[in-house]
Amino acid sequence: MLLKLIKFAAVCVAFIAGVSHAAAHGERAQEPYLRTRTVQFYDVHFSKTDVKVNERFELTGKFRLMQDWPDAVTPPDIVFVSSISPGPTIARIETYLNGEPARQSFARLELGRDYEFRMVLEGRTPGSSHIHPSISIKGSGPLVGPGQWVNISGEAHSFAFPIKTMTGLQIEDLQTFGLVHAVGWHLAWLAVAAAWLSFWLARPLILPRWLVLQKGREDLLISLRDTGAGIIVSAIVLVMVFGGYVRASAEYPYNVPLQSGLNRVAPLPASPAYAEIKIISATYDVPGRSMRLATQITNKGSEPLSIGELTTANIRFLNQSLPVAMANVDPSYPTDLIARTGLKLSSDTPINPGETREVRVEATDAVWELERLVSFLTDVDSKFGGLLLLYAPNGERVIAEMGGPIVPVFTELE
Amino acid sequence: MADIDAAASPRENTRFKDKKGETVISVSGLTPSAARYSRLFDVLVVAAVVTIFAGAIHLHVMLTVGDWDMYVDWKDRQYWPLVMPVSMIMFPAALQAIFWVNFRLPIGATVGATVLLIATWIGRYANWWIWTGFPFTEGVPSQALAGALLMDMTLIVLRNSLFTSIIGGFAFGFVFWPSNYSALAPFYLPVEHQGMVASLADMIGYTFPRSNMPEYLRIIERGTLRTFGSSVSWVSAAFAGFICIFMHQLWWRLGLFASQATFLKNSDVVKSFMGIKSSVAS
Ligand SMILES: [Cu+2]
Repeated sequence: MLLKLIKFAAVCVAFIAGVSHAAAHGERAQEPYLRTRTVQFYDVHFSKTDVKVNERFELTGKFRLMQDWPDAVTPPDIVFVSSISPGPTIARIETYLNGEPARQSFARLELGRDYEFRMVLEGRTPGSSHIHPSISIKGSGPLVGPGQWVNISGEAHSFAFPIKTMTGLQIEDLQTFGLVHAVGWHLAWLAVAAAWLSFWLARPLILPRWLVLQKGREDLLISLRDTGAGIIVSAIVLVMVFGGYVRASAEYPYNVPLQSGLNRVAPLPASPAYAEIKIISATYDVPGRSMRLATQITNKGSEPLSIGELTTANIRFLNQSLPVAMANVDPSYPTDLIARTGLKLSSDTPINPGETREVRVEATDAVWELERLVSFLTDVDSKFGGLLLLYAPNGERVIAEMGGPIVPVFTELE
Repeated sequence: MADIDAAASPRENTRFKDKKGETVISVSGLTPSAARYSRLFDVLVVAAVVTIFAGAIHLHVMLTVGDWDMYVDWKDRQYWPLVMPVSMIMFPAALQAIFWVNFRLPIGATVGATVLLIATWIGRYANWWIWTGFPFTEGVPSQALAGALLMDMTLIVLRNSLFTSIIGGFAFGFVFWPSNYSALAPFYLPVEHQGMVASLADMIGYTFPRSNMPEYLRIIERGTLRTFGSSVSWVSAAFAGFICIFMHQLWWRLGLFASQATFLKNSDVVKSFMGIKSSVAS
C-alpha cells in the first residue's frame, strides 16, 4: 500500500515537473501551418532579461507577412501588436509598429512585406515570466514570436503606475485610482438595498405569509404604509441616480468616450537586392527529423550572395561556416530556438549576380519534434514556409520567402 | 422534539413585537412553536436564496455579457448600457414574480441585484486580483441596484406585473447608464499617450495586458451612430429600457413557471422498486 502511494506520488511529481518545465503559453499547440506560413519574426531583441519591478525594458524586432498565406487563416486586415505574458506580470508603456503608435489596432497590413515593432515594457510582478512578441489578427487570433524568460526582481507592492491626465490631474497609481469613488457608490446602493430588504425581512416571512395569502388576507401583508415607503425609496433612488449623474458630469466635464478605430501604417521599404527561390522538391524525413530541400536560387541583385540562415516558426537553422550569419544571432535570442546542428548546404560558395544555382539545403534537428512542427499526418495541405537569409560580402542582408508543398518520408531511407 | 418545543415556547412571538406581525401569525394559523420554527425556516430560505442565486445570477451574467462587466475598457457608451441591463434584468424579474405572487414580498429584484453585486465583487477579488493579479481598476464592475430598487418600488406601488414591466422594467434599463456613470466617471478622464487621446479606462486595459485579448476584440462603440453624436449613451439607455419591458414580462412568467410545484403519480412498478407496497392492488 505504502509502496503504491510512493509510486503514485513519484508519478505526480514527475508529471508536475514535466508540466512546469514546459510552462509557457501553449505556443507549441498552434498548428504548424499557423506558425510556418503566416508571420515570420526576425531580429527579435530583448534589451534586458533581468529587470527590477518598475524598471523598463524594450522588446524590438521585425516580421515578414508571408505571401503564401494559408487559406484557413484570415488575412491581416485588422491587426493588433501585442506582447504575450503570463497575466499582467509586465506593464505595457508604449508600443509602435513602424514608428506609429500601436495602442489601437491597425488596418490592412500587406502580405509579402516587412514591419518593425517596438514595445516598451516594465517589470510588475516578481518572478520569471515567459514573454513573447505577438501579432494578433482578427479572425485568426494571436501568432506568437519567440519567447524569452525575463526575470523580474523586487517587491510586488512597490509597483506603481503614475500618469497625468489632460485635465492636469496627477494620478499616483493607475491600479487604484478611482476605486474608492466606485466602491463608495456601490456601498451606497447596497445600503439602500439593505434598508429596503430589512424593512421586509423583519416581518414574518415565508410560511406565515404564504398561509395568510392562501386565506385571502392580502390586506394583512401589504399596507398603505408600505406603498408610502415605496414612494419614498423611489424618490431617494431617483435623486441618487440623476443627482449623482449631474454631479459626476459637473466634476468631470472633459471626459472622453473609449477610444477605438483603426490606425494605418505603411510597410517597411521593400528590400532592393533580391533573391528568388524556387523549391524543386521538399521532403521531411520523419524518423531522421530532417527537412531536405532542393532549391533553385536566382541572384537578381548586384552583389554575390551566401546562404546564411533558414528560419521558420521562430526556429533558426544557421550556416555555421558563415561568420556574418553567426554574428546576426542576438545574444538575447532564446537558445532553445536555435538548432544546434545548423544548416547543411550542398554548395557553400556565394551565388553570383545573375546566376541561378541549384542548392540542396538540409535542416536536421530534434527541434522539429520538440516544437511540434511536424503534423503531416493531420494536416489537410502539406505545405511548409520559411525565410531564407542571404548575405552579401558587404554585410547586406537579403530576406527571401520560400515555401511550397512538402512530402513526408515516414520510413528510414537507406 | 418535546424538549425543543418546551424550550422554544417561553420566547414565542418575541421577534414580532408589532401588532401586524402578530396578526399575520395568528391568521396564518401557525401554533406559537410552529411560528418559531417557521422563523428558522425563513433564515434557511434566506441563506439558500443568497448562495444559490448569487452563484446562478453571476454565472448567467458572466456567460451572456461577461466581457462588458469584466473590463473597464469595455464600458463604452453604446453597447455596455444596452447589453448589461438586458441580461441583468432576467433573474431579478423571475425572483420578483416568485416573491410577489407567492408571498406578496416586493423584494425579488433587489435581492437579485444585491446578491449579484456581492458575488461579482467576490469574483473580482478572488479571480482578478488574487489569482491573475489584475488591478481592481481593470475589473471594476457595474451594478444594477438602482434599477432593481425602482422595479420593486413600482411593484409595491402599482401591484401589477404588467405595469411593473412597462414602468419598472423600463426604469431598470434606463437608469443603468446614469447610475453607473456616476461611479465610473473618473475612468473616462482623458490622457495623452503616444500623441493620441485615450481615456484612463483605455490606458488601464492597455497597461495591464490581457495577452489574448487584442484591442480589436472589444465590442464597443466604433462610431456607428450617425446622429445624436454626443448623446449615444442616452439613446442606448432608452433602447435598453424598451427591451427590458419585454424581458421583464418574459422572465416574470418564466419565474412563475419554474417555481411551480408539481407532482407525478408513481406507478405501482416504480413504487415496488422503492420498497413501497402498492396501495390499491396486491
Ligand atoms: Cu511562452
